[in-house]
Amino acid sequence: MQKRRNWQGVTIVALTVLVVLAGASVIYASGAGGHGGSKSFISPEKLKDLLWRVLNFTGLVIILVMALKKPLTNALHDRRHSIVRQFEELDIQKAEAEKKYKEYEAKIATLDAEVKSIIEAALAQGESEKKRIIEEANRAAGDIKRKAEMAVQYEVALATRRLRAEVADQAVQMAEEIISRNLLESDQIRLVENYLEKVGGLKQ
Amino acid sequence: MRSTLIAKRYAKALFAVGQEENAFDEYVKIMDEMAKLYNDLPEVRDALTNFLYPLDVRTKVMEQLVKALGASEIMTRFMNLLVQKKRADVIPDIAVTFAAMVDAERNICRGTVVSAMPLSDDLKAKVQATLETIIHKKVVLTSQVDPGIIGGIVAKVGDLVLDGSIKTQLSGLKESIKGSE
Repeated sequence: MQKRRNWQGVTIVALTVLVVLAGASVIYASGAGGHGGSKSFISPEKLKDLLWRVLNFTGLVIILVMALKKPLTNALHDRRHSIVRQFEELDIQKAEAEKKYKEYEAKIATLDAEVKSIIEAALAQGESEKKRIIEEANRAAGDIKRKAEMAVQYEVALATRRLRAEVADQAVQMAEEIISRNLLESDQIRLVENYLEKVGGLKQ
Repeated sequence: MRSTLIAKRYAKALFAVGQEENAFDEYVKIMDEMAKLYNDLPEVRDALTNFLYPLDVRTKVMEQLVKALGASEIMTRFMNLLVQKKRADVIPDIAVTFAAMVDAERNICRGTVVSAMPLSDDLKAKVQATLETIIHKKVVLTSQVDPGIIGGIVAKVGDLVLDGSIKTQLSGLKESIKGSE
């Protein structure tokens, strides 16, 4: 491919040189024909000068082509490559964008189901929370009731104990008064004797 | 504590002499009476222990006291020794310790019996006999009257307490009524 291009370049340069030379020949021939009858249009010096200039110009063109051919070719080649790379990157980006687009499309398609499942989960959670709160409240109520019952029982027991103590105090006080009032000397003697008998009997 | 130890030392010495002389009764009697004088009369206490009085004066006071009590010569010298050694202040402690040592030697326990009304001698003897049966020692009782116990007796001998009073029985009844559920 590269070789072919080189040949094309050489051909173009050669053709250009030929065209210039042909043009110069024609001009020179027309000039030489005029020598026979009438005065020449372009003098040979001028023609020679022209030829020299053409050759000079051709050499310049050849030098320029040879000097600039490679960097220019490289630059164009790089540019072509970068354009190709950009196209490839754009293709990849396009593919990714399409992929994302499909993903989002799929997500949008499943969004309703997702929303529905979220709502259902929230409802289930709310329901379980409700159940838990009710159970906790029931438990707290049970505790309060138990404590209240215990407090009542304690108060009742306390009152009973107080009442019993009061009754005992009163009963004993009354008994002391009655016994003191009615105890005779003979009773005192009998009490002492009975006690001594009991103690003596136990200890023997 | 210190006076108790000192009293014990003097009581032991007196006990040894009393044992030799077989004069426990006299010594106990003199010591009790001296202790009573010492405790009941501040003048006696002052005359025997105040160091502002010269020693011979204090000794003379003691001599006169023991003479009035009819003490023997040994007892008189013992009392004078207490004054000379500046130990007259431990006379009550010596009396108590000495009496306890004599009681122990004679296997005697002293105690009290409290009753709501005065006990007859017969009843007191029965109480004494019962206590002697229980502790296997001779018991010497001091009677006291306390109407607060309502009826019965409360006898105390050493660590033993026999409480047969109506007051205590009623207290027990009261506690059982309170405690019953």
